[in-house]
Amino acid sequence: MRESPEIAAEFSFEKEKEIAKSFSQRFQWEMILIGLGQAAIWLSLWPLVLNGSLDLWAGFLIASLCACFAYLPSHEAQHGNYSRGNPKLRWLDGLVGHITLITLKFPYHILRITHMKHHAYTNDPEKDPDYANAHNTSVLKVIKNVLDGSTLQFDTYLEVFQNDKAFVKSFHQAIPIALFYKAAPLVLVVIYPLETLLLWWLPAKIGSVYTTVFFSYYPHLGTSTGRYQNTRFWSHWMPRFFNHSMQLHFIHHLHPGIGHYDEPKAIEALKPFLIARKVPGAEQIPDRVTNNPLITI
Amino acid sequence: MLVEKFLNHISNWGKCWFGLIFLGSIINEILEKFTILSGSSYIWILAFGSGALIGLVAKIRGVWL
Repeated sequence: MRESPEIAAEFSFEKEKEIAKSFSQRFQWEMILIGLGQAAIWLSLWPLVLNGSLDLWAGFLIASLCACFAYLPSHEAQHGNYSRGNPKLRWLDGLVGHITLITLKFPYHILRITHMKHHAYTNDPEKDPDYANAHNTSVLKVIKNVLDGSTLQFDTYLEVFQNDKAFVKSFHQAIPIALFYKAAPLVLVVIYPLETLLLWWLPAKIGSVYTTVFFSYYPHLGTSTGRYQNTRFWSHWMPRFFNHSMQLHFIHHLHPGIGHYDEPKAIEALKPFLIARKVPGAEQIPDRVTNNPLITI
Repeated sequence: MLVEKFLNHISNWGKCWFGLIFLGSIINEILEKFTILSGSSYIWILAFGSGALIGLVAKIRGVWL
């Protein structure tokens, strides 16, 4: 990376990377537990509800919670943060990535490749698959678009990246799974109509809305392009654990290899670097990142 | 080739199929369980017809909401 002459040597990109790397080593067992755990809980709801051991409305609430927890473990897998570059552990990325997304009915391959493009082209109107969400005019419009599926038309990007062989290959790999996720509810609904609606279809919609609003919309709202400008620090009334600490998403865009639960410590350590880079709001980062609010931008 | 044709069909008519099968089944179940129409012989025509109509409208509009 080419350094600006204004940046002192002590805040060089190499040093920033070195610190970030120290937070990118740990095995993320919590995230694996959450990913596989929520999928197991969600699956167990079906026999429990169908044999009358659990009320359908209670099942709906639990399934919706599971759906809200479903994306993040897959997101870590998309970045290879379980295998950490070890080819022998790559299966773990795929396993967690695929299984956790059952609740949301999304094919892992498509989310992985479009997310990689989101990182490569953040806030580019044509190439960033999250652009429509992040640059919408209101949170209500984001919710509406997610509910009617209009911002999840990933096939649009097959044309945009038609010359990227790896993208096209992964996209085609995902088609059978995508078809399965379209067909399975249509078969299930004939046999178990209300259960399919309240244990899968509606929770998946709620989880998708939650994920899009907190992972795409708020962190990139009003931001531009550029490594230190394409994501923002933001605050929210709810404790950060309820929105998956997405106020800290800025650090994820700088160094995607940092484990999710290590991000607060990484932000504390990298604060002087962010101030030196004139990242908006960096000076307001507290010395110790607590529950909430992170900063008051 | 066959797969491509199938995918094109899904992409063009997916909303109608979803309306007919998914919404139709849900409406049918709700009418059966929670309304005075329960027990009526032709209730499924109303249910699946409504579902298909909603799907068709969504296909014409291009969006659900």
